Amino acid sequence: MTGVYLVKKKSRLLDIMVTAALLLFIAFVTYRVSAGLSYHWDWAVIPNYLFRWDAEKGKWVSNILMQGFFTTIRLSFWSLILATLIGLVMGILRTRERLFFRLLGRSYVELIRNIPPLVLVFIFYFFVSDQIMPLLGMEDFIRSRSEAGQQWVALFFAPPSLFTSFMAGVFTVALFQGAYITEIVRAGIQAIEKGQWEASAALGLCWWQQMCFVILPQAARQVLPPLANEFINTIKYSSIVSIISIQELTFQGLQVISSTQRTIEVWLTVSLMYLLLCFSVSLLARRLELTLAVKSV
Amino acid sequence: MLSKTHYRGENMKKSAGVLFVLVLLAVTLLAALPVTAGKLQKQLIAESTIDQVMRRGVLRVGMDTFLPWAMKDKKGELVGFEIDVARRLASDMGVKVEFVPTKWAGIIPALLTGKFDVIIGGMGIQTRRALKVNFSIPYDYSGMAIVAHKEKAAGFTGLEDFNRAGVEIACKLGTTAVTAVKKYMPKAKLRLFDDEAQAYQELRNGNVHAVVGSSPRPAYEAIKYQETMFLPLKGNFTKEPIGFAVRKGDFDTLTFFNNWITIVSHEGWLEERHNYWFGTREWADLVE
Repeated sequence: MTGVYLVKKKSRLLDIMVTAALLLFIAFVTYRVSAGLSYHWDWAVIPNYLFRWDAEKGKWVSNILMQGFFTTIRLSFWSLILATLIGLVMGILRTRERLFFRLLGRSYVELIRNIPPLVLVFIFYFFVSDQIMPLLGMEDFIRSRSEAGQQWVALFFAPPSLFTSFMAGVFTVALFQGAYITEIVRAGIQAIEKGQWEASAALGLCWWQQMCFVILPQAARQVLPPLANEFINTIKYSSIVSIISIQELTFQGLQVISSTQRTIEVWLTVSLMYLLLCFSVSLLARRLELTLAVKSV
Repeated sequence: MLSKTHYRGENMKKSAGVLFVLVLLAVTLLAALPVTAGKLQKQLIAESTIDQVMRRGVLRVGMDTFLPWAMKDKKGELVGFEIDVARRLASDMGVKVEFVPTKWAGIIPALLTGKFDVIIGGMGIQTRRALKVNFSIPYDYSGMAIVAHKEKAAGFTGLEDFNRAGVEIACKLGTTAVTAVKKYMPKAKLRLFDDEAQAYQELRNGNVHAVVGSSPRPAYEAIKYQETMFLPLKGNFTKEPIGFAVRKGDFDTLTFFNNWITIVSHEGWLEERHNYWFGTREWADLVE
């Protein structure tokens, strides 16, 4: 049995007591905070900023906090895919024998991981995206699309006016998350015993086949837990691009705060939304881990 | 001997060739000069922001949410004094308006790198800022006000009371409030926050003596949290001109904005909007 341990036990008296003590402690802290913090609590405005009744259309529509939530999902989704691709390629490069490949992979990882993400975001947004995006002409391309085409782009990416900055955000997050994924991929590949390489070589597989059919499938199972970690980190790190005014959850939260001055209520709501999102990714990863583990037995 | 003359002949041919090219170059340059000046003017007009806006049909405005300059209302739409100004400007120009909400700390770099065409965001005209961007003539005036903690700053009645070592004042990073504090209360310790809301929370928690911010928010906070805050001064202690900011060297655009501001301010429209957003709280329903 590799990786996952399934333990089923009934809860004991001690467990119940410890849980109760913990809950009491949380209640005490909450009480102290609400008593000590001179703050007027007012939750009334929050639901309206999540969903609002659209009188013109006669139905409920999502308001800016929910829109921010969806943008966070879109942003994390594309960054995740891109980061995984970068990580996979760079991770494989780092395990190659040729010096050039290793240098390439290593420089990328060391450069990105040793720069604060905030600085990276600024550099990327103001310099790189400014030089690259107009060259690609993406914004003009999207603005010239039909109404329906623009709506599809808005559904999967961002509305035309925000598209360029959205893509800059995706690239930035993917670039720095890619560096961490690179290391995970490298560790996964290097954890596979040499015998596997030799055995597959003896079967007459070329390098490409060895990698695809023998090494990577085994490595994937090994690295799933740290990879899930990195996926969740990607979602949380996506909040950093609020600094370059990408209208994701954190940014929208800040907008609501400066409009309504319900600072703590908005932050708590936003945290809860991040918790929901990240926890569902956790559950998914666990399920995947179990499926892969069952297969391997 | 033969080879020598041969060489000389070649040299002479060469220098004649160089001379010919030089003369040709001078003639072309002379002929081209008046043409380039005319072209340059055309090019400047074509490259001006205002021309690009007209061609695109969209005016992109950079701003940050700031009560009551620009706020998100219950419908998720932007409202506020600044928003009214930008919408009227765009409709007078016959183009659509697109707001690009941008964090205040990065708003000037964003303008310079072309993320939007103009900052209409309650930006105070300051000498330092004017070195980086061109400002239009002022379309409004704002001022700094101070709100203080009842217990921590008990008995403080003037700016000189705050100008002491050991006094802490919170401000929003990168705003003219910071300049005002450094000028009027240089001995006080500055605490900078990324967002105004955090600065006021710090004051409510009693960790700073006062918050300096642009009017009218300090007064609103004092009304809302009467048990912890008070206004040590009546009214504002600075008066700051507010202008549109555009990229440097674009005089076509700058002149257009100046003309527009002159027109609407003589109409009395700017004053009327100012009174609505700063003199009343009729709009409070929109956001709360």
